[in-house]
Amino acid sequence: MTTRDDIEAMIARVALRDHSAFSSLYDATSAKLFGVCLRVLNNRSEAEEVLQDVYVRVWNKAGTYSVTGHSPMTWLITVARNLSIDRLRARETRTGGIDRALDIVDDRPGPEEVAVARSARAAIDDCLDELDTARADAVKRAYLDGDTYKDLAHRYDVPVNTMRTWLRRSLIKLRDCLTR
Amino acid sequence: MTDPDDTFGDEALAAEYVLHLLDADERRSFEARLSRDQDLRALVHRWEALLAQLGEDVPDIAPPQRVKTAVLDAVGPPRKTGRRFLPGWPALLGGLAVAGLAAIVLLTNVLGVGRDLEPAFRAELSSEDQSVVLVASVIPATHEIIVEPVAGTPPAGRVFELWLIAEGATAPVSLGVLESDGPTRIRVPDEIAPGVRTGTVAVSDEPPGGSPTGVPTGSVLATATFEDL
Repeated sequence: MTTRDDIEAMIARVALRDHSAFSSLYDATSAKLFGVCLRVLNNRSEAEEVLQDVYVRVWNKAGTYSVTGHSPMTWLITVARNLSIDRLRARETRTGGIDRALDIVDDRPGPEEVAVARSARAAIDDCLDELDTARADAVKRAYLDGDTYKDLAHRYDVPVNTMRTWLRRSLIKLRDCLTR
Repeated sequence: MTDPDDTFGDEALAAEYVLHLLDADERRSFEARLSRDQDLRALVHRWEALLAQLGEDVPDIAPPQRVKTAVLDAVGPPRKTGRRFLPGWPALLGGLAVAGLAAIVLLTNVLGVGRDLEPAFRAELSSEDQSVVLVASVIPATHEIIVEPVAGTPPAGRVFELWLIAEGATAPVSLGVLESDGPTRIRVPDEIAPGVRTGTVAVSDEPPGGSPTGVPTGSVLATATFEDL
């Protein structure tokens, strides 16, 4: 099992252009980051391309990792998620915002892949449980599916303004729960 | 976009920024503020950390091997993992020399002379094309690292700087700037010294006087770990 310290040490060595540390970092973290890319993009070939960009970014930015003050997985997940969302938004611009519901693909993780996940529930899950189901869902959709306010308003059939107020309140509630 | 509900001000704005929910104009003006507002950056970092927990819950899915191949290709050729010190015939001679040295060390130990003042471990720092080769030897008793140039000098107007990444450390620590034309003796601060043996040393090229930022700014020419002598 690779620990947080192991991953931090790998990142520090990657900052010094250590290829073997980079290879180890990839081995230790790519399945998690690929999961994130695939979840956001819902398309295997795009997720593979973005994952490649993620690691090139990690290679180039490893030297600035420590100033973010993040845990290593937070940093890596944030990079993976941000690049995936950028790709998603670019795709929408290209296709003129065709409803993504149309390209739900079958390469969602299979049952055995799902089964290996979730050893421990993150604290955030308990706090999401305290929110109304739809609101918790909206937060997850914004983070993991890259839904925009427009997407969410459409989904929950409320005006965009209302959606924004809703989500903001949910986020603050979530933060309060996590920090108490 | 919409009339923002300003009840939660920057806190909510930072969350929306992290979620990529701001429209292009809002995002631009938020980023302009972010570049000069440390408190705002702290809010963004906090939201990133908080929301990344959602990413931790996503099931792992192993990517195909071709992605790793492409990633490694994209960052350049793999560094040779430390040229074997004195390969081939010279290795044998080197071995004999080491054996001889060990005998001498043993003798001096018995005699109680010069004990502890010999280097106990060493790392060879060689650049990928072998144009720069430095040997760093450590004398644990005095917390000294002696760096001897074997080949190569810094580019004109640049200096070599030595770095240590202690095991488990998140950032390199500067050990100092190296002389350009001869051995450099560096006294390692006491608090760093215990991490040297298991750490990684690296050499980068830097402006005169060394890196102005406290982290390597120029190219890192070589990294190496120590081996016991």
